[in-house]
Amino acid sequence: MSEIADKVQKIIVDKLGVDESEVTPEASFTNDLGADSLDTVELIMEFEKEFDVSIPDEQAEQIQTVGQAVEYLESQQ
Amino acid sequence: MANELLKGKKGIIFGALDEQSIAWKIAQKALEEGGDFVLTNAPVVKRFGSLEKLAESIDKPIIYADATNLEELENLISESQELMGGKLDFVLHAIGMSVNVRKKKEYTDLNHDWMQKTFDVSAISFHKLMQTLYQKDAMNEWGSIVALSYIAAQRVFPDYSEMAESKALLESFARSFGYHFAAKNVRVNTISQSPTMTTAGSGIKGFQEFFDYAEKMSPLGNASAESCADFTIAMFSDLTRMVTMQNLFHDGGFSSMGMNPAVIGL
Repeated sequence: MSEIADKVQKIIVDKLGVDESEVTPEASFTNDLGADSLDTVELIMEFEKEFDVSIPDEQAEQIQTVGQAVEYLESQQ
Repeated sequence: MANELLKGKKGIIFGALDEQSIAWKIAQKALEEGGDFVLTNAPVVKRFGSLEKLAESIDKPIIYADATNLEELENLISESQELMGGKLDFVLHAIGMSVNVRKKKEYTDLNHDWMQKTFDVSAISFHKLMQTLYQKDAMNEWGSIVALSYIAAQRVFPDYSEMAESKALLESFARSFGYHFAAKNVRVNTISQSPTMTTAGSGIKGFQEFFDYAEKMSPLGNASAESCADFTIAMFSDLTRMVTMQNLFHDGGFSSMGMNPAVIGL
């Protein structure tokens, strides 16, 4: 697992109170990890803070799964 | 129905999120009544709800602040005073959030880290706000501080979960700090409002059914967000100067009812 994927997983476990094993690349924040609309916004903001990037709204809407988050954040480094 | 009740008064309004928000209705009425104010909410609201659009429509500033963070509260209060030029006359706390409710956890199986967060956001933030206002001496004489509450602070409404304890704590902070603020002739009260169809309210399980029940149980029906705004403006005005340390029911009579034939057969 990349360093970014590792950090992303940690943020998700911490924020959503889910088990590490549930945070797979395919896992959808809303369908699999129980995130509501406020959680998803908080996650995006947490990613922005942790990785020092700015994620525009239209990009944020595309980030539905753990894998998509990792992919986007890796592309921004 | 403008009577210039807040003419020349300055305030901070916490908690407006979108058009349904009680805090937004209060902001609209405050404007109608001649008040000047700053809108505030948590930074996450930049990407959630429609506060920016609402603020723009009435040409009022937003200063984002995390109400659980003393430093951010200090900045908010200093900046608001600078923007409006002087001390504050009215402050509204309309903040409530429970992760356990959002995650639909049963009351008998709550996550206690989340519970701490619920209390911090929904109740302790009120103490932090008042303490910051107090220490900065930011309130004008006869100023008024109001927080929004709910009757689950006194009676059991199972689906309201740990928000019941949050509201009990909130109301207690209003009484205790009201004593200290009285030395500065500032009053502190909570308004215990009918269930209201807002983004926060509709997050509660079975809300629609409960809303309908309360509507029938209350002899006057549920109090709307607009009427709550009217009452709040009255509490901010000079007409209610001797009211402090109270939890005031604004609920169409719900809190005094035992049984109402209208609910039988629901």
